[in-house]
Amino acid sequence: MAAVIEFQNFQKRFGSKQVHRDVSFTVHEGECLGLLGGSGCGKSVILRSLIGLEKPDGGRILVEGQDVGTMSESELVEIRKKVAYVFQNGALFDSMTVFENLAYPLRAHTNLSEEEIRARIHAQLAEFDLEGNDHVMPANLSGGMQKRVGLARSIILQPKIVLYDEPTAGLDPYNTLRIQEMILRLKTRGVTSIFVTHDMPSAFAVCDRIALLRNGRIEAIGTREEFESQGPDNPLSRFVRGEEP
Amino acid sequence: MIRNASTALGGRILSFAHALGGAVLLFRQFLRELFARPLLLNLVGEQVYFVGVRSMGLVFITAVSTGMVMALQFGLGLEKFGGKLYVPKIVALSIVREMGPVFCSLMLAARVGAGIASEIGSMVVTQQIDAMRALGTSPIKRIVVPRILACLIALPLLCVLGNAIGILGSIAIEVWELGLDPIFCFEKAVTTITLRDYLTGLLKTVFFAFFISVTACYFGLNVKGGTQGVGSATTMAVVVSSVLILVGDFFLTKAFFVLFG
Ligand SMILES: Nc1ncnc2c1ncn2[C@@H]1O[C@H](COP(=O)(O)OP(=O)(O)OP(=O)(O)O)[C@@H](O)[C@H]1O
Ligand SMILES: [Mg+2]
Repeated sequence: MAAVIEFQNFQKRFGSKQVHRDVSFTVHEGECLGLLGGSGCGKSVILRSLIGLEKPDGGRILVEGQDVGTMSESELVEIRKKVAYVFQNGALFDSMTVFENLAYPLRAHTNLSEEEIRARIHAQLAEFDLEGNDHVMPANLSGGMQKRVGLARSIILQPKIVLYDEPTAGLDPYNTLRIQEMILRLKTRGVTSIFVTHDMPSAFAVCDRIALLRNGRIEAIGTREEFESQGPDNPLSRFVRGEEP
Repeated sequence: MIRNASTALGGRILSFAHALGGAVLLFRQFLRELFARPLLLNLVGEQVYFVGVRSMGLVFITAVSTGMVMALQFGLGLEKFGGKLYVPKIVALSIVREMGPVFCSLMLAARVGAGIASEIGSMVVTQQIDAMRALGTSPIKRIVVPRILACLIALPLLCVLGNAIGILGSIAIEVWELGLDPIFCFEKAVTTITLRDYLTGLLKTVFFAFFISVTACYFGLNVKGGTQGVGSATTMAVVVSSVLILVGDFFLTKAFFVLFG
């Protein structure tokens, strides 16, 4: 399988705080990699760096072989059309309706007619169980709905790579399940993804492999079976049980 | 003590230089993306409405009261020396050359500068600016360029309006309080002002429009630390652009005298 995403000795520092010391991992085509780690250990920064929202202080980040760390803002546009980032809190444009939020990437990057845009958005809203919310402002949506609209907006351009930043955090079990189904459905379409989460059932449901981020490094990476074959004291089980490393 | 004060001063100077550099970089990005396709003229139109049309009331009140106060002050002062007849001339000239442009710009710095800085700042805090970039679009193109252009279009027009209303306000006082003839006042005002007086005043507002909009966008985009950061960015935007207007006014006046005589 071809490597789609590759982190090579990635380092990132904010001021005097070294968040990432030496992060290396690979995500293969069509794979969903779960990225787990304590709060504040730098999971979001990894995803942000992958689409060039943060610049690495060292190491390389390759997306389909291209080094995004050295790209200019205009070169990054092509990467960003391919790689969708699902923000932790939705990051909806609060001056626009749900419809306008979804239309935004379509108007910016496609030549679709207004008819086609409307059809596409309505199909997307239906897929996310959001029909009839076209003209609602984001502030008037529940948190779970905002998250779903954010997800819908991120993937409306049918990206090849999707980065999920805790898409199920704070959702009720029903909505969590819907998001899991959505991610699995995208996977069957061949989407490669990184799934950042604290939600273990979801991680086990959708991820092919799981990586543990700790102290600025990938502490362990593998399939669930690989972890479990190491016995009850494997790093993943210890993380899940909330034990000190 | 002295050491503390000097490190504090050094820090201040450094952060000032940092902000200045950042604003210059932002201005360069503005120039680079100004004519990049698509032009997004609808966004510019929207902002012209917010900046221009919605500020008309404020400019109206500012201009009319400034004009009236100046006529009253000059009138009462000059009346003692029998110089009442010069009031329409003096007031019209000072409005067109100085008071109109500077007061319009200061009012806009407060109203529009604060609005831009807090709006962009909240977008930063709620990651909407990041979302724009993540969706492969440029916040400079969509947020900064329309706001700078809108200020560039609206401020000179508001100044034209402010000048006219200020002069009308001053004429009202010259007639009511100083007992001058309205036709005389109007004629004096119109014949005193040369095109050069008028245009140098307007040209200043072009510079002031940049001061207001670039400063506000810069502080908005560089908000750090949540909602509190939005508040201090807004304050900084208004303070810095007002100071730039007042200080810049002196240098521009001087430069225009040298350039245009
Ligand atoms: N722009 C920034 N400026 C300064 N520090 C930052 C910045 N972005 C992130 N950090 C720091 O980097 C660290 C990692 O942040 P990050 O948001 O990636 O954590 P996370 O693993 O996603 O946590 P969570 O699970 O709570 O979302 C944090 O300690 C944070 O304070
Ligand atoms: Mg995070």
